[in-house]
Amino acid sequence: MEKIYILCVEDQREVLHAILQDLEPLADSFILEGCESALEAEELMDEVDSRGDLIGLLICDHVMPDKSGVDFLIEVNRDGRFLHTKKLLLTGLATHQDTINAINQANIDRYIEKPWAAEELVLRARQLLTLFILDKGLPYEKFLPILDTDILFERIRKS
Amino acid sequence: MMKRLKIVSWVKPAIGLLIPLFILLIPADRLLPGMSPVEHRVLALFLMAALFWIMEPIPVFATSVLIIVLELLIVSDQGFLPLRQGPGGEEWSNLLDYKEIMATFASPVILLILGGFFLAMAATKYRLDQSLAGILLKPFGSRPAVVLLGLMAITGVFSMFMSNTATTAMMLAILAPILQKLGPEDTGRVAFALGIPFAANIGGLGTPIGSPPNAIALKYMGASAVGFGEWMVFALPYTIVLLLAAWGILNYLYPFQAVSVELNLKSRFLRSTKAYIVYGTFILTLGLWLTDFAHGMNSYVVSMIPVAIFLSAGIINREDLKGISWDVLWLVAGGIALGLALEKSGLAERLVTQIPFAGQPAFLVLFLASFAGLLMANFMSHTGTTNLLLPIVAAMGSSGLILDSIGGTGALIIGVTFSISVGMALPISTPPNALAQAAGGIKTPQMAKAGALVGLTGLGLAMLMVVLLKAFNFFQS
Repeated sequence: MEKIYILCVEDQREVLHAILQDLEPLADSFILEGCESALEAEELMDEVDSRGDLIGLLICDHVMPDKSGVDFLIEVNRDGRFLHTKKLLLTGLATHQDTINAINQANIDRYIEKPWAAEELVLRARQLLTLFILDKGLPYEKFLPILDTDILFERIRKS
Repeated sequence: MMKRLKIVSWVKPAIGLLIPLFILLIPADRLLPGMSPVEHRVLALFLMAALFWIMEPIPVFATSVLIIVLELLIVSDQGFLPLRQGPGGEEWSNLLDYKEIMATFASPVILLILGGFFLAMAATKYRLDQSLAGILLKPFGSRPAVVLLGLMAITGVFSMFMSNTATTAMMLAILAPILQKLGPEDTGRVAFALGIPFAANIGGLGTPIGSPPNAIALKYMGASAVGFGEWMVFALPYTIVLLLAAWGILNYLYPFQAVSVELNLKSRFLRSTKAYIVYGTFILTLGLWLTDFAHGMNSYVVSMIPVAIFLSAGIINREDLKGISWDVLWLVAGGIALGLALEKSGLAERLVTQIPFAGQPAFLVLFLASFAGLLMANFMSHTGTTNLLLPIVAAMGSSGLILDSIGGTGALIIGVTFSISVGMALPISTPPNALAQAAGGIKTPQMAKAGALVGLTGLGLAMLMVVLLKAFNFFQS
């Protein structure tokens, strides 16, 4: 069975650590990974993909050296390999234009402002992972305890 | 530009329904001496199917399902009671078994195509197609004409196993960066954009699962049916020669101005367990298909193997199952049901014996049927054309018409099927043509000129192939 990754990209080590800490409740069913730059994330995604595993959720900061989070998300959005990967932008410093690009070009799924509340982050992550599993057509039964039941029931009812 | 007349939406369905109804009002004996009421209804149904498939007032697959349902209602042994009984209350003897009509949804031909779908879906999902394309394209370098040859060769090979439309979509995506870089005046743009759909249409002939008409042809060949490998013995050389001819035609009509083009393709094979299962199953299935003479499992039986493996291994999941092209399967099923009704009611034989074929040379019959097929296929769905023509053509073979001089029914069916599949002169001829026009900014006259040349070459080659097959006594019937 392929593994599903949650990948967090954040250049400040202590912030990255805090995000991963907050997402700990999800660690039983998913693999949590952190990267300190977009380039590092690209390499890891490449690696995960060629092993046949899946990137379910990408949580990304915007202001980072080398490549900005929005630019990185735009590239991921164009990459056919990560068609279903859900994208969450977690930032306090995106300009109005950055945000517009994030929506129109990177097609992000959620936007959370820093500082964030742990409950909200986990809730959004669970919602997005539920959508990812349903979009991919993966068997959702074994993920039931952490899936967002509202979204799940809505989808099952419609199909 | 000419102002187009807008045809009112009810005109097409009205024509498609009124002509068959009119036929039903004429006494059967006036139309064809001795024709029974059941045959009369099948004749009307056949006309309706032809008109609907040509004019497309409703989608082609909807027409197919309509045929099946109407057959169940008006010519089956479980249909509407008054239609089943003659004046004396006795049942008509040539009614169709309703189970046989329903079974067309799962006939071996349908399952063969389904097996092909599973292989194609798995190959796409695990990116076997893209990885292979990248590797295979490398040796073709950067000279535009050679790159075009490479693209066409790969498109041809892929469309032997994947749907022609899916192959075209994938290859056009690979081609997009090249098209952007070529100047707007470079006629080579047209050559590139046309090369892909042409190669997909031609390559689709290469194997029985390459496109639906091939599978339908196998069904109608009956006793002279060939195995997967035997099909490829004649189809593969044919596709190679016609691909080269199409390449030459495109080079001649639309020469390149650019000196070099560059293709950058990332190609890396996935290394997961599931990906290996996909590669292995592909090789296994293909191997079994090609060696049917050794192990005795025919291509229909073998085609179920990838279905079982991919479902068991979770390679094709619930969501993927929903993505199967049921429309294509049902389009073919309706055609089979129509053929069944024509044959079982006795109408096909009656029609063929009515037309004075017996005096004509068999080769003329072959040529005329093939030319008609090519002509029709340029304007309507290839599967639709095959559905309409092959039952009649198959009946010619069994109706005392001397076909031995061309190799029997098998040769006739192969000739007609190949001619149908090379109909690609217009954007409406095939879905790949339509895609290429949309993506490449090709004008219809440009496509028509090249497509007509390729089509006529294909027709000529098909005739030549039949002659050669006869010379080698391929169809020993």
